[in-house]
Amino acid sequence: MRHHETPQPPTVSRRALLAITLAVAGSGATACGSVDDVGERVALDQWNLFGGGDGARMIEMHQRYAAEHPGVDLRATTYAWGPPFYTKLAMGAAGGRGAAVATVHVSRLKGLAPGRLLDAIDARALSSAGLAASDMERTVWDKCFVDGELYAVPMDTHVLVNYYNREICAAAGVLDAEGHLRETHGVDEYVALLKEVKAVTGTFGTSLDTNAGWRPFWALYRQQDGELLFGDGDFQLDESKALAAFDVMRRLADEGLAPRDSNGAATSANFVNGLGGVVQVGNWEIPVYQKAGLDFGVAQFPDFFGNHRTQGDSHAYVLPHRRDRHQARLDESLAYIAWMLRNGITWAGGGHIPAYLPVAESAQYLTMLPQSEYRDAAANVQFDPDIWFSGSGARMQDDANAVFQGLYAGTQTPETALAGFTDILRTLLRIPDPT
Amino acid sequence: MSVEANAPAVRARPRRLVISPAAALVYFAAFWAAVFWLAPLLWAAATSIKPEAETTLVPLAWLSENPTFAAYREVWAVGDIPRWIVNSTIVSVLVTALTLALCSLAAYGFSKTRFPGRSWFFAIIIAGILVPPQVLIVPLFTQMSTLGLVDTYWGIALPQVVAPVMVFILKRFFDAIPRDYEEAARIDGAGHLRILWSVILPLSRPILAAVGIFTFIGSWNNFLWPFVATTDPSIMTLPVGLGVVQSVYGIAYAQNMAAAVISAVPLLVVFMVFQRRIVTGIAGAGIKG
Amino acid sequence: MARSTAGAREDSGVRTSTEDSDPPVEAPPPAIRSRPVSWAGLWFVLPFAVLFAVFLLWPTITGFAYTFTDRSLTGAPAGYIGWSNWTESLTDPAVWSSLWNTLVFTGLSTPPLVLAGLGLALLTARARRLGWFLRFSFFAPFVLPVAVVTMIWVWLYQPGFGLVNDTLTGLGLTEVGWLADERVAMISVVVTTLWWTVGFNYLLYLAALQGIPREIYEAADVDGASGGRKLWSITLPLLRRTTVLVLVLQLVASLKIFDQVYLMTRGGPNFATRPLIQYIYESGFTGFRIGYASAISYLLFAVIIVFSVVQFRLFSREEV
Repeated sequence: MRHHETPQPPTVSRRALLAITLAVAGSGATACGSVDDVGERVALDQWNLFGGGDGARMIEMHQRYAAEHPGVDLRATTYAWGPPFYTKLAMGAAGGRGAAVATVHVSRLKGLAPGRLLDAIDARALSSAGLAASDMERTVWDKCFVDGELYAVPMDTHVLVNYYNREICAAAGVLDAEGHLRETHGVDEYVALLKEVKAVTGTFGTSLDTNAGWRPFWALYRQQDGELLFGDGDFQLDESKALAAFDVMRRLADEGLAPRDSNGAATSANFVNGLGGVVQVGNWEIPVYQKAGLDFGVAQFPDFFGNHRTQGDSHAYVLPHRRDRHQARLDESLAYIAWMLRNGITWAGGGHIPAYLPVAESAQYLTMLPQSEYRDAAANVQFDPDIWFSGSGARMQDDANAVFQGLYAGTQTPETALAGFTDILRTLLRIPDPT
Repeated sequence: MSVEANAPAVRARPRRLVISPAAALVYFAAFWAAVFWLAPLLWAAATSIKPEAETTLVPLAWLSENPTFAAYREVWAVGDIPRWIVNSTIVSVLVTALTLALCSLAAYGFSKTRFPGRSWFFAIIIAGILVPPQVLIVPLFTQMSTLGLVDTYWGIALPQVVAPVMVFILKRFFDAIPRDYEEAARIDGAGHLRILWSVILPLSRPILAAVGIFTFIGSWNNFLWPFVATTDPSIMTLPVGLGVVQSVYGIAYAQNMAAAVISAVPLLVVFMVFQRRIVTGIAGAGIKG
Repeated sequence: MARSTAGAREDSGVRTSTEDSDPPVEAPPPAIRSRPVSWAGLWFVLPFAVLFAVFLLWPTITGFAYTFTDRSLTGAPAGYIGWSNWTESLTDPAVWSSLWNTLVFTGLSTPPLVLAGLGLALLTARARRLGWFLRFSFFAPFVLPVAVVTMIWVWLYQPGFGLVNDTLTGLGLTEVGWLADERVAMISVVVTTLWWTVGFNYLLYLAALQGIPREIYEAADVDGASGGRKLWSITLPLLRRTTVLVLVLQLVASLKIFDQVYLMTRGGPNFATRPLIQYIYESGFTGFRIGYASAISYLLFAVIIVFSVVQFRLFSREEV
């Protein structure tokens, strides 16, 4: 009954193992070989950080690209958003065998050691691929240069916007005659609007993401012309303007108009379920709300301090450093970027404002709702401060978010939040710049 | 070994054939413990053959009424997992072959020959056992980057070949092989290589098998170094690719579990084929990490 | 390690000599004729020695040298900066919190891994008719790649429709945020680790149990000893050496925790599970600071060495 325990001659087993592994290895080798042997296909690796709706759109575009370019073997890879992606990008570039093309946030450009980890892009080569500087949205395009060299080609501008649930807002009487959210000026007017909305929902006015406080803070601070400048191991922050911004955040939660604790997923759910009638989050949530079948509109980030400036960033293509960049591969990479921008209308469906003007000004985009409702926000975008530890998914944002959530939770006052934030800046400034 | 030990005992005391309440309890506990231990694997398999829409239906059901292999077909069609299995196979075979070859050679040199500086060499290599590979990831990566070995099979494999503990284990085994065997071969005119190949290695089959199997499993499942040494998904090994690359199909639980099941199969097969060797190998050598 | 080759040696019919209990580095005992000294042996050692030098010795040395520089992943010009990486690492709260997490993991995981290994082995030794099935069930998870293990367990821990939470709510209990709750996440990682790796300790115990001669138990039967008495007075004392081996291997393995944490929680929520190796990875590769990450690596190295030395002292006394 225990025959299976009979010792087998080891030689047989080892041979079996060898046979299995050789078989697998052999079949794999031939499979790989056949891919490279088909004609003289140019291999094009593309790395990105898009999951969810953005990821699905990118795959859709890649399928069309592949169908139109049988000579290119496009291999796209998605790494988890934030540090996992940026770490692999940097390590690949440091090893000199990074991807041919990758996507990044423009706010991260300076922290990615342009010139070392990123290769500069020749503007003439780019224009011969069909992309001229004049076709680019000016604000974002200017952010793609470091020390006079072009390191990125922008895909889009994405910003904090103001979503409103039409049904709830109509019941609250805060829509204008055309069904748009009523324009407000200043903090008090907006708070008054939220109170009317809350009277309908019974729970929140706005269902903010309290774990991502950096974005609203930066918008509020920049609406007051606040600057955050770095130099000589020190920084300049306008404390009274920062306090004013923090006070708005605190006030929304203290007056019961915003949740005290809500992460990204809960924020979406709260808005979809009607617990809040408006919400200020990124434009990338549009597909989520559309999928939920919600009747909603999108306005620019509210005017708290006299204008509609809003925090934002831009997705852009970069060329990670390679020790052997063949001309054919480079040409194909630039051609790929140009194709993706020209066909950016699909990407715009995800809520991002196209950086490529021929698409941004096309009739197709202008009639796309609600996407084109807030297209003016591209001119109001405020990028994160210009220093290596700043930008989407980088340390300053992460650390600031951890402090700012206390403003909503009621564990921080504007004064303690300011102290916490300046501590973060000092700590980060003490770290030697590794780029 | 248990066959011989068990049978006479049963014959000697036929009373044992009647299952006592205590024994019944032991069997009951053992059986359910084993089922409990297998449950996560069974749940993964059960999820993988559900239609995607049924995977999140609460209350959960173990068996779908419409079982399907759609998730497997889709995962396989993407092509990542077969490629990673091939990569893991290449790397593990490379690591195992090189480990067996180089560690045997070194162990022979230390055990059966005398050369100037031998004890120094040996002491330094044994001291290497104390250095956990995990603390070397940072300098090793910069070195690989300088050598241009990042994102290559050699870059993943070579650091794993440096396993001083295997040299130690093999040397102890070789030490125990009496000199008469070599002497006999030497009288027949055999040199060192010939003695190693035709005398020492054949006598060392059990330990070589243990070292080989463990190196293979260890290399197949190694995560940290291959994770650091690869950024290009087409060169990644299975654990790294599965863990790092986001699935192109988004969050699809049936496909996730199908990927897990496919990826579990190769080593489960190896385990079933070599179960006895693995069990005695662990029992004997206590080789780990 | 001492028992390591014993079993195999019997298989191959090689006699046991006293030779291998001597320090391996020393010259052979006088009974054995000394071997001729020649350079031939060096050629056998050289291939391994070269790889050893390039991929272990050299990075160990350069890694230590890096701790005194501001070397960057980006290849930016770097220079000597004295002890500042060391002083920074010793005052960096993230170093201490991730070291603490590593120690907490070690403390939480080692006892159940040893006890469950022993318990399952005892069950298997008694329930012999289920032998193959039990060995497969308890050991199979050990051969799975870590990413497979974490994929399965993240699915099990899933809020709402994960098997664990669904079972809880089915029993009328409330859901637990297994990987989302700071207070619970580390325990969830420990449970997964227990499931994944207990098979190794289990097999060590099982082999030791099978090595206990039946005559001892039969003699105890004659004396009328109860089952519990036999377990306590015969089995457990005879397993002592195995327990020492299991403990030594387990402690050092637990200190090197990274894989399953990184794949399940990425060190979160709010860094509650981030182990030291992850912080090394983040400092060096995410933050580009090769010099600083090397300094933290050497701190971990020191901790592991201290643990090893203390263990060696404790257990070598015990074994005599």
